Amino acid sequence: MENTIFYWLAGALILMSLLTVSVQNLLHAAISLIGSFFATAALYLLLQMEFVALAQIMIYIGGIVVFMVITILLTAQLGAKNLFPKTWPQRLWGGSVCLSLLAVMWLTLQSNDLPPATPIAPTAEPASLTAVGFRLLSADGTGFLVPFEIISLLLLTALIGAVVVARRDPKPAAAGVPPVPADQVSGKESS
Amino acid sequence: MIDTSRFPATNAIGDFIRATLPGPAAELTNIVLAVLAILTVVGLTPVALIWMERKVAAHFQARLGPMRVGYHGLLQPLADGIKLIFKEVMKPEGADTFVFFLAPILSATASFMVLTVIPFDHHLQVTDLAGGVLYVIAVAGLGIMGVLLAGWSSNNKYSLLGAMRSGAQMISYEISLALLMLLIVLLSGTASLREIVFSQAGTVLDWWIFKFPLFGLVAFVLFLISSTAELNRAPFDMAEAESELTGGFTTEYSGISFAMFFLAEFVNMFMAASLTTTFFLGGFLAPQFGLAPLDRVLDAIPGFLWFFLKSYSVIFIYMWFRWTFPRPRVDQLMNLEWKVLVPANFFLLLVAGLFVAMGLV
Repeated sequence: MENTIFYWLAGALILMSLLTVSVQNLLHAAISLIGSFFATAALYLLLQMEFVALAQIMIYIGGIVVFMVITILLTAQLGAKNLFPKTWPQRLWGGSVCLSLLAVMWLTLQSNDLPPATPIAPTAEPASLTAVGFRLLSADGTGFLVPFEIISLLLLTALIGAVVVARRDPKPAAAGVPPVPADQVSGKESS
Repeated sequence: MIDTSRFPATNAIGDFIRATLPGPAAELTNIVLAVLAILTVVGLTPVALIWMERKVAAHFQARLGPMRVGYHGLLQPLADGIKLIFKEVMKPEGADTFVFFLAPILSATASFMVLTVIPFDHHLQVTDLAGGVLYVIAVAGLGIMGVLLAGWSSNNKYSLLGAMRSGAQMISYEISLALLMLLIVLLSGTASLREIVFSQAGTVLDWWIFKFPLFGLVAFVLFLISSTAELNRAPFDMAEAESELTGGFTTEYSGISFAMFFLAEFVNMFMAASLTTTFFLGGFLAPQFGLAPLDRVLDAIPGFLWFFLKSYSVIFIYMWFRWTFPRPRVDQLMNLEWKVLVPANFFLLLVAGLFVAMGLV
């Protein structure tokens, strides 16, 4: 039963991923990306990882794909004129990268020094949110408190950066930049 | 603390099926029945809400509203529905056929999916996810996709502009909605909607709107404002401001495709109201006033009736908003979200953290 569901989901995932990279219309690619994210989330659910599945849907579909779609919508002249250019050198490069990755994975899986995969009991309780929270933020050395804080700092920096980039300052002199003399400003305008 | 044994999680129909059918078949039958029940709610909610919207609108404008089809226009939604279904489905030239017909389905699906975690009563909930609040936020993203895709695929400037406005608005207000949900999660210590309802057991003063003194009321008002904006309802209906954008992202939709958006909008309104009920108004719990005889009478009324009563009161507030407040401009809307609501929500979170840390709630 579980195996059948897994193969269906994996098949859907592969199909959607292939569509994502092969469809010529960017928006259609984004839609198939949603499909592949959903299939991944379903795979997580099959592994009893409810939280990861929900986070997958929330962050990737609700956040990233929506962002991508908005970017695509803001792009003028999407459609027949602006298709992905596909040339033979590109195909060769992409294909060889794919093949080498596949070869490395195959070799790794073939070598026998990997620990045997321990089967997960299908009846295992899904990890509770409380457990995830404590695991993430415990300060006794097993948690991920420092990476968590560093990531928040990084996000804060990105947010402030976005605000600074997007801000249109009416008076550049106020922002710590040395004031430009009035005659120079007017000179620029006249030239 | 509440005695949860008074609120069993299974209901009589499910128990009967589990007793009569063998294991997997019983589970399957129960799932099918649950989906059918949700579809019934989805089918009947818009009918009730269309009638209510027309009547409320009419009485706010000192009119009578629909009076001819059935008693006080009760059959009017049926007439509306039949009219919509029998209209021709048209597709504008140059529209992206696949996306054009996918978008309304996405919108409708998103609103159906949220209903699966709503606790209509202690034994009427399709599934009680441990991360129910996360699920609600996650699925809401799909609704935005439907709107954006509809606007783009219509090959119409008004549609695209409406979709961009609508998308920007929904994404922005989703932040304050998520922050407010986080506030409730922080206060109640659980992300399961069922547990959140149980955390409000006791008297009326134990509902989160009053239990978190004063700030709870503020959070409730903020939740109402953000969900009105998230629903693209007036006064925040810039996305389909008739006077500017003809019909927003639904301009090119007709017939059953338009009906899907219409359905999704009304189900979304019900969903937002039921979330408000669950988070702030004690969900399916009967209001208790600490007067034993009165409490016993109120408690005897089944929980789902209380749930629907509370939800429909919240829906009435949404309709009240619509006919009371003028529509702000787009930039005013964004200012409201980013410069007022988000900082206010962060402040509320901070205060709630303090309250929880000091054991005050």
